[in-house]
Amino acid sequence: MIDVRDLSRSFGRTAALDHVSLRVEPGEIVALLGPNGAGKTTASRIIAGILAPSEGDVLVDGISVRADPHRVRQRCGMVTDQPSLYERMTLRAYLGFFCHLYDVAAAGKRTEELAELLGLADRLDVRLGAFSRGMKQKVAIARGLVHDPPVLLLDEPATALDPETARSLRSFIVSLRARHRAILLCTHDLDEAQRIADRVVVLYRGRVAREGLTGALRADSHPRFVVSFTGDAAIARDALARAGVKAEPASSENGYAALRFDADEPGTTNPAVLRALLDGGLRVVTLVREERSLEDAYFAIVAEARSPEERNG
Amino acid sequence: MGKAALIAWREIRWEIFGDRGAVIRTGFFALLPILFVLSGRGTGSGGPNDISILVLALQSTLIPALSGVALIASTFTQEKENGTLVPLLASPVRDLDIVVGKLLGMVGPVMVICTGSLTVYYVLGLALFGAARVREALPPQILFALLVVAFLYLITAGSWVLIIAAIVRTTRAGQQIAGLTIGLSAALFAVLGVAAARIADGWALVGLGVAFVVADVVALEVARRVWQRGEVIGRL
Repeated sequence: MIDVRDLSRSFGRTAALDHVSLRVEPGEIVALLGPNGAGKTTASRIIAGILAPSEGDVLVDGISVRADPHRVRQRCGMVTDQPSLYERMTLRAYLGFFCHLYDVAAAGKRTEELAELLGLADRLDVRLGAFSRGMKQKVAIARGLVHDPPVLLLDEPATALDPETARSLRSFIVSLRARHRAILLCTHDLDEAQRIADRVVVLYRGRVAREGLTGALRADSHPRFVVSFTGDAAIARDALARAGVKAEPASSENGYAALRFDADEPGTTNPAVLRALLDGGLRVVTLVREERSLEDAYFAIVAEARSPEERNG
Repeated sequence: MGKAALIAWREIRWEIFGDRGAVIRTGFFALLPILFVLSGRGTGSGGPNDISILVLALQSTLIPALSGVALIASTFTQEKENGTLVPLLASPVRDLDIVVGKLLGMVGPVMVICTGSLTVYYVLGLALFGAARVREALPPQILFALLVVAFLYLITAGSWVLIIAAIVRTTRAGQQIAGLTIGLSAALFAVLGVAAARIADGWALVGLGVAFVVADVVALEVARRVWQRGEVIGRL
């Protein structure tokens, strides 16, 4: 379990993290989102016990990174966006080296297990420099798992992977959740976060801008609806404007004209929309709530987090 | 120190012997003593005197050591540039193990080269300068002292460049500063050696040796303190 408590970290006068708190329970995937420079990598490095906090603390499996970073490192597996491998080594030697660093008993057996798990068993004696980008990233993941850690810190693990490899990586991460690992996923890939994360924490300029269940964040913003109909879209827009509903053109899957509108109170707004369209001589085909993506929610959260000066300039 | 030995072994096995170019470049050091012997042959009417034989032996031993300092600098800065230092720092290894492991991983092979270079020089010297003269100028204790000096120099200068490597960001900057360190240390070493040899019938050389050992300890301690992984990672 990861318990980040009021964590701050500065580099000179720059505050990379400013009183950040978050938790990741065993069997949970939490996505840490945020633009470049938001503090995601700094946070994961502090949690991994390789960067000291300026203030606050992190408990990994109940062990403080301030008090005992060495034991914290034993409990964390870290995967970075770049594989960062010793490319002259063979896969067997490389994983064996890290098994020994992590005091893994039966290093040879563990190396073969991991190579099998990640589909690299036939390349154990090949130098890492000859591996493709996707295979190198798999090796980086294997390196993070040599000691079967209870906590996994994944910093952009699917960067530069082809869609097929990225998909198999996602499946693998989900399988680790099923094995009760606490997983913190730092990512820019909102689609990836939406697919696998249970909860999302959005960082902006070193602060937590929003935290919540992935589904709740998506539903948190104003509900939006799309109405499709037969007839002239301009007439429909005018009719809605007269009813006090601001609408914008939308695409509809069934090929009819369509408009999108916000409805904070759907029970009042939606009947008014239907009535306005029908009174305007238009035939309504469908009225559906539009599913918001995590991307929409993310941009709304980041926009809210921006200071007025940033918004203006 | 088991993990330091593991890190050192990886450096030797995979970064030195895993790189054919490095092995070939290392082989060029064998040419140095041959050149020294050939150049020494023409010195004076009866070949080189005892001092010349000693100086050439010193050069055969220390020139590979000087290059070793640059290697020590690059082993760290390259890891920083390639990002391979991050997984190493994320593993449960003490800072001191990383410093000592890296240092030994480079000092070990360089000392083998120093010893090989001195051996080649000695054997060629026996054949070309005359066995009796070379045995008189280079008794076993002198040969041993030369290797100890090379070792102490490597540890001291290596520790100092480690400190530099912790601070700079790029391999190029690390190598430039290592080059400066090599030049300055060689000049300082020569001046101190000549001066100490003239004081108190050469007994000051013993004091210089002791100062070297103290400098070793201080340099290693400073390297250990500077090499706090939190500070290093903050500069990546």
